[in-house]
Amino acid sequence: MLHSPIQTDAVIIGAGPVGLFQVFELGLLEIKAHVIDSLPEIGGQCIELYPDKPIYDIPAIPVCTGRELTNNLLKQIEPFGAQFHLGQEVTQLEPQPDGRFLISTSRDEHFLTKTVFIAAGVGAFQPRTLNLEGMEAFDDKQVFYHVKNPEQFVNKKIVICGGGDAALDWALYFADKASSLTLIHRRDEFKASPKSISKMRELCASNQIQLMIGQITGYDLTQDRISQVSVTGIDGMTQSISVDDLLIFFGLSPKLGPIADWDLEIERKQIVVDTEKFQTSVPGIYAVGDINIYPGKKKLILSGFHEAALAAFAAAQYLNPEKPIQLQYTTTSPKLHKVLGVTPPTFE
Amino acid sequence: MTYVVTESCIRCKYTDCVDVCPVDCFREGPNFLVIDPDECIDCAVCVPECPVNAIYAEDDVPGDQQAFIKLNADLSPSWTSITKSKAALPDADEWKDVKDKLDQLVK
Repeated sequence: MLHSPIQTDAVIIGAGPVGLFQVFELGLLEIKAHVIDSLPEIGGQCIELYPDKPIYDIPAIPVCTGRELTNNLLKQIEPFGAQFHLGQEVTQLEPQPDGRFLISTSRDEHFLTKTVFIAAGVGAFQPRTLNLEGMEAFDDKQVFYHVKNPEQFVNKKIVICGGGDAALDWALYFADKASSLTLIHRRDEFKASPKSISKMRELCASNQIQLMIGQITGYDLTQDRISQVSVTGIDGMTQSISVDDLLIFFGLSPKLGPIADWDLEIERKQIVVDTEKFQTSVPGIYAVGDINIYPGKKKLILSGFHEAALAAFAAAQYLNPEKPIQLQYTTTSPKLHKVLGVTPPTFE
Repeated sequence: MTYVVTESCIRCKYTDCVDVCPVDCFREGPNFLVIDPDECIDCAVCVPECPVNAIYAEDDVPGDQQAFIKLNADLSPSWTSITKSKAALPDADEWKDVKDKLDQLVK
């Protein structure tokens, strides 16, 4: 049975820079939007892949980081009160007999919307999994990709996999709380803060962390539970270690996922749009940013911003076919000042 | 356009790149990886993952590496898809800084 769906004019799939600017462009046209993203945080690739790396090609901003760009966009869209639905992936998009679209998410939220803006970049970010046959049956039982309740791992034999900050932070946290802690990484080089790395090395020297360089290549069951994992080192030697719980931090990777099943015209796994409306092969569904393709497409944030503006105007016309949609300027339009919640300037 | 794996990957094959590819376009040979130009969507996510900076946008491939554009295209149809990272080749660290190792490529 469906929870009663949220009814809205617009749903934006993806809370990256282009999805956020889509909120702005729709907002100026007084269309309110709901935004869905698979990540728990707003910002998309800018936050997940390059939060602290500089971006040099945003017009009028000589340099900013991914995080700064995201924060500035959030400030810019504040007046429009978009609602965010984070940590959930869109699983279904189905046209309804009345012309609207029913969107369902992995958290069982539902939306009935008149228009859809797919700003999903290179897809939904998901944890990279430990790919061993049958292991998925132990997800959230003995194999964890997030730590929700640290208490449950106290006094357990823990294996932590990964070489980034998440793996090291939890290894340091559990070093004196677990009954044994093994850290496994593919090579003896870590992509984490230097402070965490040196602390981890200290704990290895004092035998509170066993560091193994290699990969998990198999596991043994005892009474339907994982009791041991086999770790194959770079020298090709395999060792077995006894384990209660495995914490896997291989980072996140984007996957295009179900977008291919939405009956939209696709070319090389990207959504085909026109360059007037940035509309897909289904009227009312638009695609903006890295996910779309058209002749001359360049995957630039600034191109996505332009696409979002034109898609917003097209959607406004689609929602109100009778009403002429006029272009107004934020500098001079009293109507837009009202929408933005700013005080109109007085001209002398 | 496409992204291209160049010489630095030969005899190293660290495979970090394959985990992040949203469209699974890496193909694996005995001691080298290539990108299938028909599958790559130019997202550039793999570029910073490579510990030896082997991946370039087609338009940015250095002059002495131009042959790799064709090599990626020619090898990808017969090589198998790789979608999960695995251990680098055992002597990867010895080969990672070696230049001019095209003669080491096993097809």
